[in-house]
Amino acid sequence: MAQSVKPISSPVPVAWYPSLAVLMLAVGLFITASFFIYEATSSRKNRSLAKELVTGAMASVFLGFGSLFLLLASGVYV
Amino acid sequence: MHIFFRRLGSILREKPRLNMEVFVARSRLTLIFSLFALLFLSSSSLSSSTSELQILTAERRIDLASHIIRVVLTLKVQNDEASPASNVLLAFPPAQAKHLALIQAAEVAGKKRKKSLHPLDVKQSNHADGPNGAKLYSISLRNPLSTGGSVSIEVSYVLTQSLEPFPVEISQSESQLVLYRDSALILSPYEIKQQTTVIRTPSTKIESFTRVEPSTQLRTELKYGPYEDQPSFSYSPILVHFENNNPFAVVEELVREIEISHWGNLQVTEHYTLVHNGARHKGGFSRVEYQSRPTISGVASFKHLLVKLPPRVHSVYYRDNIGNISTSHLRTGYSKSELEIEPRYPLLGGWKATFIIGYGLPLEDVLFESDDGKRYLNFSFGCPIAETLVNKIINKVVLPEGSKNPSIVVPFSVERREETSYSYLDIVGRPVVVLEKENVVPEHNVLFQVYYDFHPMSMLAEPLMLTSVFFFLFVAALAYIHMDISIRK
Repeated sequence: MAQSVKPISSPVPVAWYPSLAVLMLAVGLFITASFFIYEATSSRKNRSLAKELVTGAMASVFLGFGSLFLLLASGVYV
Repeated sequence: MHIFFRRLGSILREKPRLNMEVFVARSRLTLIFSLFALLFLSSSSLSSSTSELQILTAERRIDLASHIIRVVLTLKVQNDEASPASNVLLAFPPAQAKHLALIQAAEVAGKKRKKSLHPLDVKQSNHADGPNGAKLYSISLRNPLSTGGSVSIEVSYVLTQSLEPFPVEISQSESQLVLYRDSALILSPYEIKQQTTVIRTPSTKIESFTRVEPSTQLRTELKYGPYEDQPSFSYSPILVHFENNNPFAVVEELVREIEISHWGNLQVTEHYTLVHNGARHKGGFSRVEYQSRPTISGVASFKHLLVKLPPRVHSVYYRDNIGNISTSHLRTGYSKSELEIEPRYPLLGGWKATFIIGYGLPLEDVLFESDDGKRYLNFSFGCPIAETLVNKIINKVVLPEGSKNPSIVVPFSVERREETSYSYLDIVGRPVVVLEKENVVPEHNVLFQVYYDFHPMSMLAEPLMLTSVFFFLFVAALAYIHMDISIRK
C-alpha cells in the first residue's frame, strides 16, 4: 500500500465545465465578430495584417478551449 | 533384493577360466553393484521427498451450494524426518486440477477466539506428477518446520465446472439434479492419521451417494469418516447425486473496456455473453405455466442478476443489440452501488443472453499518484455480477494519449499484451493494456494496478488541436480577403 495515496483529478474542477464552455465560446464568438467587422469596415489601404492575425489567434484560442469544454460538459470525455 | 544377493553369490563362486572371462565377470559385478547403488539412492530420494511429513488430522468441508464449489481443507502437519521442512505438498486428481480456479493457504495460529490466519504462498510444484497423474501444489511455510514440530494449515480452493447435470436435459417443470465426483479419502502425498470429509448440499434432496463406511447423511450434510491411518495417495472415488436449483450463471466471454480520461472520468463498458450452464432445457416453454406456478415451473431457471458496482457511479446503461433494456434497478449508496438487471427473457438450461453494461466513475476514486511520480489506476479485476463464473475475461485498460511505460501489478497470473486504440481527438492513438484470464470466479474480484508515466503538458495537446483548426479557418478567411482575383483593374 502506498504511504500517501494522492488521488488525481482533472486540472479544472468538473463542476465548472458547462459554465466555462459557455463563457469561453461567448468570448470567442465576440472576438470573431470583431474580426469580421474589422474586415468589413476597413479599406484595403488601412488594413493591418498584424492586427488581423492577432485577433484571429485570440479568437481561435478561445473558440478552441470553449469547444473542448463543450465536449467535456456534454459527456464526451476526450 | 535377495535375488541380487543370489546372483552376486553365483558370480563370485564361478571360477573364471580365461583372462577375458575374468574381465567379463568383474565388469558384470561392477555393473550390478552400480545398479544396486542407483536403485537404493533413487528409492531413498523418492521416500524423502514425499513422506517426510505426516498429517495428523485432516478435515475437508466441501460446499456444493452454488455451481462454484468451495472447499476448505484444514490440515495438522507434523514433521517426522531429521531435517526441517519448508514446503508442504498438496495433491489433486487431474480432473480437479484442470478446474481449479483459485487456491489459497493460511497458517492458523492460536485457538478458537484468538485464531489468526497468516496467508502463505501456494504455487504449482515442480515435482513430477504423483501416481495416476495427480498434480502437486506446494505451500511455502513461513518458518521451516523443525523435527517433531507441527503446524496447522487451512487451505481453501475453488473448483468450477465440476457439477455435471444428470439428467442432462430437463423439461420446464422438472428440478435440476447434478452429480459431484470426488474421493472419500483426501488425496495427499503424505500419510494421514485421521481424516473426515463433510459435504454440504443446498437442499435435503440427495438422490444417492456412494457409501464408504463410515458415512452418514444428516439433512443437508454428508459426512465421510473418520478414517484412520490411510497411506499416501489413497483415493476412494465417490459420487453424490443431489438437487441443485441455484442459478448456474456462466459468462462465456466478458470484454471489459476501461477508458481513462484525465479530464475527470473513467468509463467502463462491459460486453457479456451469458449462458445458463445447468441441465439443458428440452420441450417447449410455456410462459403461462412459468408465470402462474413459479414454485413448480422453471425452478432451475433464473431471471434476475445482481451487479455490484463501486459507489459514486453515474451514467449507468444496460442495453443489447436491440436497444435499451428497461428492466433494471439501480440503487446507489455510500459504500457500493447495486444494479439489479433482468434480461429480456428468463434463462433456462442452455439459453444465452448477450448484453452491454456501461457506467462512469469519477477519476479521483480510481486514479492515484504513486511516490515515484507514476500514475496508477486502482480497479477491480473480475466480473461484477454476483456468484457468476467467467470462462474468459478480457480487461482492456485504455490509457490516455501520451502515456508511456505501462506496467501492471496483479495478485494472480494473467496474460498481458498491448494494443493501440483510436478515439476522439487522437493523433498517435492511445496505448491499451490487455489482460486476459480464464476460469474467473468471484474470489478474483480484487484490485489490480496499472502504472504509467504521463506528463501533464500532454493534456494540452487536445485543446491546441482544436485551436489550430479554428486558426486555420481564420487564416483561410484572411487569405481569401487579401487575394485580388478581379479581372478588371
